[in-house]
Amino acid sequence: MLTRIRLTLKQHRFETIAITVVCLGVSVAALIEAFRLNSLNVPLSCLPTGYSFGPGMSSMSLSGGDPHCQALADSFDRIHRSTDVNIVELLLLLVPLLAGIVLGAPLVARELEQGTAPLSWSLSGSRRRWLLGKVLAGVVLLVPLMLAVGLAADVLESALDPGVNTHAVFQNYLGRGFVVVFWALAAFAGTFTLGTLFGRMMPALIVALVICFFARVLWDPGMDRIVLRSIAVEQANSGQQFGPVFAPPGVGIATEPTPSGQPSGSPGPSASSEPSASPGPSASSGTSASSGTGGSNSGTDAAMPYWVQSDLYVYNQVYVGGKPYYGDQSNLQFGYGVDENGNVFGWDANGNQVPLDPSQIPTWVNFVIPGSQYWPVVAFESGVLLLGSLLMAGVAFVWVDRRRPY
Amino acid sequence: MVAEAGASIATAAVAAHGLSKRFKRKVALDQVDLSVPAGSVTALVGPNGAGKTTLIRVCMAFERPNAGNVEVDGVDPWKHRSAALRRVGYVPQTPAVYRGLTVEDHLAMARSLHPGFDVQYACRRLDQLAIPLDQRADTLSGGQAAQLGLAIALGTRAKILLLDEPLANLDPLARREFIQVLLDAIHSDGSTALLSSHIVTDVEEACDRLTILGGGKVLLDCPLETARKVHRLTDSDSPPPGATAIGSFAGKGTKRLTLWRLPEEGPDAVAAGDSTGAADSSEEASLEDVVLGYLAAGRGTFGLQLN
Repeated sequence: MLTRIRLTLKQHRFETIAITVVCLGVSVAALIEAFRLNSLNVPLSCLPTGYSFGPGMSSMSLSGGDPHCQALADSFDRIHRSTDVNIVELLLLLVPLLAGIVLGAPLVARELEQGTAPLSWSLSGSRRRWLLGKVLAGVVLLVPLMLAVGLAADVLESALDPGVNTHAVFQNYLGRGFVVVFWALAAFAGTFTLGTLFGRMMPALIVALVICFFARVLWDPGMDRIVLRSIAVEQANSGQQFGPVFAPPGVGIATEPTPSGQPSGSPGPSASSEPSASPGPSASSGTSASSGTGGSNSGTDAAMPYWVQSDLYVYNQVYVGGKPYYGDQSNLQFGYGVDENGNVFGWDANGNQVPLDPSQIPTWVNFVIPGSQYWPVVAFESGVLLLGSLLMAGVAFVWVDRRRPY
Repeated sequence: MVAEAGASIATAAVAAHGLSKRFKRKVALDQVDLSVPAGSVTALVGPNGAGKTTLIRVCMAFERPNAGNVEVDGVDPWKHRSAALRRVGYVPQTPAVYRGLTVEDHLAMARSLHPGFDVQYACRRLDQLAIPLDQRADTLSGGQAAQLGLAIALGTRAKILLLDEPLANLDPLARREFIQVLLDAIHSDGSTALLSSHIVTDVEEACDRLTILGGGKVLLDCPLETARKVHRLTDSDSPPPGATAIGSFAGKGTKRLTLWRLPEEGPDAVAAGDSTGAADSSEEASLEDVVLGYLAAGRGTFGLQLN
């Protein structure tokens, strides 16, 4: 088998060298960018909180006017938003797919196009074994290269979000770490399957590019609905009508208990002092303005700027009477008041106070994925990609046994 | 179809029974019954589209028959592909080589795919032809590439060799060398070969048996000697005594030649039993004449009525 792996890689020498050079090149570029950011040694206190890096926001530092701090933060931001970093980030996203496609397209299709399949198939009693040898060669090449790419992407992410445990936030989580390996394997499996079905390299390549593009674009929203929502927990103290989703600790989030009519208990959410790692909202009440990241990030404000919150997956949901409300929100009356007797009231069309059933007050609740769910999420999505790869490869293994070798 | 004795199904290396293969509306093989005796070197001759390649591909399990079946050393390749392919060495029509690999790599790949592949044996064959093992396959000449394909087929030490027009793209010298190596190996190993070709003169010296395919049917299947012995050629429509007309084709110049088939007993028996005393103006037919006569018959050339 080792001979076949070696000869398969030699047979696809051009693709092997090209993929190796590109992957290592992108990895080195990512490490260089990370080094540039890390070498600034910017104290976390110099970096703005509530900061979401973007154009025109570099002056939001909370450095208290310290010019040195401001200069460091600006330098950091300049690199952060530089074209170099953007290109490297884009390549880190594309390389796994491109590597899989470029290696997968000729794997079987070229043999059929160039007429070498009859020679190999006449020598090998089992075409599946023959295909296995070729597939293993691709896997042997892709796995270490993609691990290098994923690791480099992790290092870059860590440099871009200093002080953050990159394995507890979901920023670019599908473009770094070992999940990258599975993206490459899925693209590889899909493409060599197309090559086996079509028997032609270029059509397989083109169709694979189109499919991979849509798969990658649709993956995030799909997984948001399927995976992330199911494990999201109520963001601490977000069970309120109005309030900023992202804000520095203690800023902008109400510290008062939510109204007595606050939906509570299952299935409705309630504010919780610490987000639960378990799926579904917790039922305890509390008023803490914790960052709500849970897991390893909770209570580490000093080490982890609050803006990391924006890295988390977040969605919000309106609840009425303890149940999710999916209707037209313009019909809801969000405003209410509480009189001196503690009675809740609203206003009619004429502005007159009318009694209000507290349970019918709409409540807008934010949900987040706690950092502790990082590994389960990554493992699950990697598993889905692996399963998809195996299914696609299974089609190729069945078809190669039936098809003509020309 | 004219089938001769000496091809017992029981001892056949390759046997086809009612084998049919269609590609959409085109019939490539039509109820073919064929038997290639073990130890023989059979020339499979026919024009383009006669079904030669399809027959070999069915033997290699590359094509599934629509009807009938084929057996390779008693094994149905479609049902037991692995077992059948272990018994067969195959040389494709166009030399199939991996462009980026060396000759040695090809042998290593063959070794990794075929457990019984004899690398030393293949190396010796290539060494005899002074083909360097470290040469890249895409720099080999057509003849060398064909020799590499043959060396790989021989290296399997298979009992049966199926060669699909390996001579078609070779120059005369390369063809001669190819056949020489093939015969050398076959005689030393005692294997069976089915050599497809439309170059009759080349197979004439290599083969001991002739199978003519035309229009997907077997037109003739007999030992080479018999083919020569029982056929006569004339340049007129007057038949040799007791002969049956096979086909008529254009000879050299404007002459029209007709191929005749004598009774199974051969010309001696005909001469002995001929009481008319009519002069026999026929000549002995060369193998090429035999093939041309049958191919003309298959095409209905010159409208000769066949008996």
